[in-house]
Amino acid sequence: MKKMKSIKILGLLLIAVLFFGSTLLTGCKESAKVANKTGAQLWGENCQRCHNTPQPTTFSDEQWETLVMHMQTRALLTNRERDKITVFMQSFNH
Amino acid sequence: MNNFVKSFAIGITVTATMAATNLRAQDVSQDQGNGAPVLSMDQVREKITEYKPGESHLMIVGLTTVGFVTEKNDFTPTGGIKTTAKASSLGDADRYEFSPMFLWRQSNKVLLEFEPSYTGGPTLGVNWADVSFFAAPGCIIRAGYFVVPFGIYSKRLAAGWINKLGSDPVGMDMPGSDFGVEVEGGFPLGSMKWSYDVAITNGFQMDSTGQVSNVGIQSPNPNKTISGRLALLPLSNSSLEIGVSALGGNLYTAPGTIPVSYNNPTMNMYAVDLSYYKKLGNITVNVRAQYQTQTINQQNLPRVDTPSQTYTFNNVVNSGFAQLSIRPTGLENKLRNLELGYRYVTHTAPKESLFGQNWSESDVALCYWLSWRQVVKLCYESISNSTYDLPAQGVTGVGGQGVTNRLIVQFSTEL
Repeated sequence: MKKMKSIKILGLLLIAVLFFGSTLLTGCKESAKVANKTGAQLWGENCQRCHNTPQPTTFSDEQWETLVMHMQTRALLTNRERDKITVFMQSFNH
Repeated sequence: MNNFVKSFAIGITVTATMAATNLRAQDVSQDQGNGAPVLSMDQVREKITEYKPGESHLMIVGLTTVGFVTEKNDFTPTGGIKTTAKASSLGDADRYEFSPMFLWRQSNKVLLEFEPSYTGGPTLGVNWADVSFFAAPGCIIRAGYFVVPFGIYSKRLAAGWINKLGSDPVGMDMPGSDFGVEVEGGFPLGSMKWSYDVAITNGFQMDSTGQVSNVGIQSPNPNKTISGRLALLPLSNSSLEIGVSALGGNLYTAPGTIPVSYNNPTMNMYAVDLSYYKKLGNITVNVRAQYQTQTINQQNLPRVDTPSQTYTFNNVVNSGFAQLSIRPTGLENKLRNLELGYRYVTHTAPKESLFGQNWSESDVALCYWLSWRQVVKLCYESISNSTYDLPAQGVTGVGGQGVTNRLIVQFSTEL
């Protein structure tokens, strides 16, 4: 039982080291391909992870700003992704 | 001569005044009769650009799920004769939900979320009530009552308009929501992304049968529970997400009428989860899965027949589900609104306990999407469940083999 627990803890630590180690190596930088993604691409890719892609005309500019903040806490979007998606959704109201 | 000049000056002044008034009147146009002037298009555009929304904004979203269920339960007790029971229900207590979510953006750094939930009966539940502070890129700090970061299902896939089947998979309600503090965020990683979500919460308590429940807001347990999830999105289009979760903490045990000497009870939970979508021609395929295990260290629990004596068992509960859905999103006609889903669910609890069971379930659902957030579902669920007697302790009549067949018609929408 104790041995199993130690193996599980070691396994979790190894995963954590891999995550943080790879982050250190890449310096949390996104590739050029990812950095150049448009708001439309990010909308299509990230929303589908959980639900259907929302219709941009469903909400107003202010509502999209609030909603995408809420979505950032669920999908753990980066700030850049959040801002690009928000601007894209708001563009349909103008 | 002087009179002529005076008259001429007065005339010019009056004429100029009248002309100016007339020009202003043309600009504003006539009164509509209610005191409100009718504005020209240029004036309207000017007013729109002048309007600056404030930092604060309150909106209500949320979800509701309503439906009808009919089911047939066959139960064969151990060594007994099969009995059959049928039931049907509008509203359906296990799958009805009305949950408006209040989102209050206090600024671009602070977001408050409150989701009360009515699922039938006299009480109103709460799914979450918390405040989030967007402290820095990749760092959101949350405090209050929130979904404990563990797995993917409870936090992101449970809503009726997101869940492509009719019910929640058995066992995915653990660990649920709790009071505490959480830190989460997402980071790029070259062409990949990763995210973290960790929390410290009040935790759980264990009863004399070995089952656990939340301690609530006033925790008598000085030891807290730590939980967390790490996820990796290895593909550049974020279509694949793989997560690992862990939770650990001491359990509070309330004093009972009969003193029980517990062995420093602790609970550890581990989970792996996966979410993937892929467009294959005209078909979008969606795969979701989560498997979790919950272990409480060996305890001597009071027997049912003679509480002064104890019994023990390996207190391990395992739960998991895997689902696949397909939808012809590439078609131009109404068929693109149809989605077919299948899910397998497994849940086991120790047969030597008073809550032992072996549950396996196969679900099929046909969904019709009325819009991106409104869905009508026709679901069929087939459940096989074994429960266990403890004859050595005089516990009989609960063990046996159950088979349930259930048909659900459900409407779900984001509010």
